[in-house]
Amino acid sequence: MTNMAVTCTDVSKRYGNRMALNGLTLEIPSGGIVGILGPNGSGKSTLFRTLMGITRPDSGNISVLGSVPGWETNAKIAYLPDRARWYADHTVRKALDWGSSLLPNFDRSRALALAHEMNLDLGQSVNGMSRGTEARLMLILCLARQVPLMILDEPFFGIDLISREKIIDALVASATEQETTVLLSTHEISDTESLFDYAVFLRAGRVERQGNADSLRSQYGSMRDIMRNLFQEEVTSQ
Amino acid sequence: MHLEQRDVGSFRFLLDLSQPIYEQIVQQLSGAIARGDLDLGAKIPSVRELAQGLRAAPNTVVHAYQELEREGLIETRRGQGTFVTTSATVIHEFRAKLAQTLLNQFLQQMERLGFSPDDVRHLLREYPKEGDRT
Repeated sequence: MTNMAVTCTDVSKRYGNRMALNGLTLEIPSGGIVGILGPNGSGKSTLFRTLMGITRPDSGNISVLGSVPGWETNAKIAYLPDRARWYADHTVRKALDWGSSLLPNFDRSRALALAHEMNLDLGQSVNGMSRGTEARLMLILCLARQVPLMILDEPFFGIDLISREKIIDALVASATEQETTVLLSTHEISDTESLFDYAVFLRAGRVERQGNADSLRSQYGSMRDIMRNLFQEEVTSQ
Repeated sequence: MHLEQRDVGSFRFLLDLSQPIYEQIVQQLSGAIARGDLDLGAKIPSVRELAQGLRAAPNTVVHAYQELEREGLIETRRGQGTFVTTSATVIHEFRAKLAQTLLNQFLQQMERLGFSPDDVRHLLREYPKEGDRT
């Protein structure tokens, strides 16, 4: 049996009368860059929060790195949430110091090297960062950790092309250097789809299609084609 | 079909995002070696450089390099990088194998049109020589 990074069996989560996850069943093999794709409201962020144990599902089973989500598995996961909070008096350097004192397996010298590569000004205050700067800082806090699983929720959202290229370069470098499974959700599919070696397409809280990305490509075409075919109504109505 | 051009060093890749990326890396690199665009013993991009340049998953590049190594077309020297083979014989044999594959494909297509290999031989003899073509 292949090692699974994530297994979900019939997972459901209801918010009011909306099913954020609706009988979601999923198996993600270890290693590689995994695209978690789907229109807004398809359950990507909710899935990530349940993997982090932040949100408890109403029913179903979840296994992350072979265990039930909780503080023990979280020590092995670098999570980039869909929104961030910073300490108002922090500079970029202080935020990285905070990371190295609080985040398990955080490599401070790697964080500083990444900040240099990605042109982050260490003296800059986190207050009033541009979206691109904030996204780079959030990503560094993830990439500087030596962990078996990274969960990146929309790391490119609202980010200019140059920052996006820097982030992709850093992500690829990090995936080359360490054995990590990277789960990545994104709307910027045209920039990123060649990155994936596994892809999961979600719709209305369920898995619509999943598999090895090269197999999906030979069977259905590009990731963008698959998105278009599966989610035509949702995508055009956005 | 939508092709994306991606340059890695002096090397130009054309990626078709609707086809498996692994196969495209293998075909384009082995093609460049067979054509002689890459010299014997030339250094080729590291896994990281190629993955960054193509924006491809490092695993995919690793698998493509493993396939090229199995073919004997490239070799990885510990701590130094990855290089095109220094053996002209290996490349010669690979070219012969490629030629055979293309020939087989061509003959199969001709056969579907009703031409036997002997018919094809005859057609080739009649085919204008390079200097005679306009």
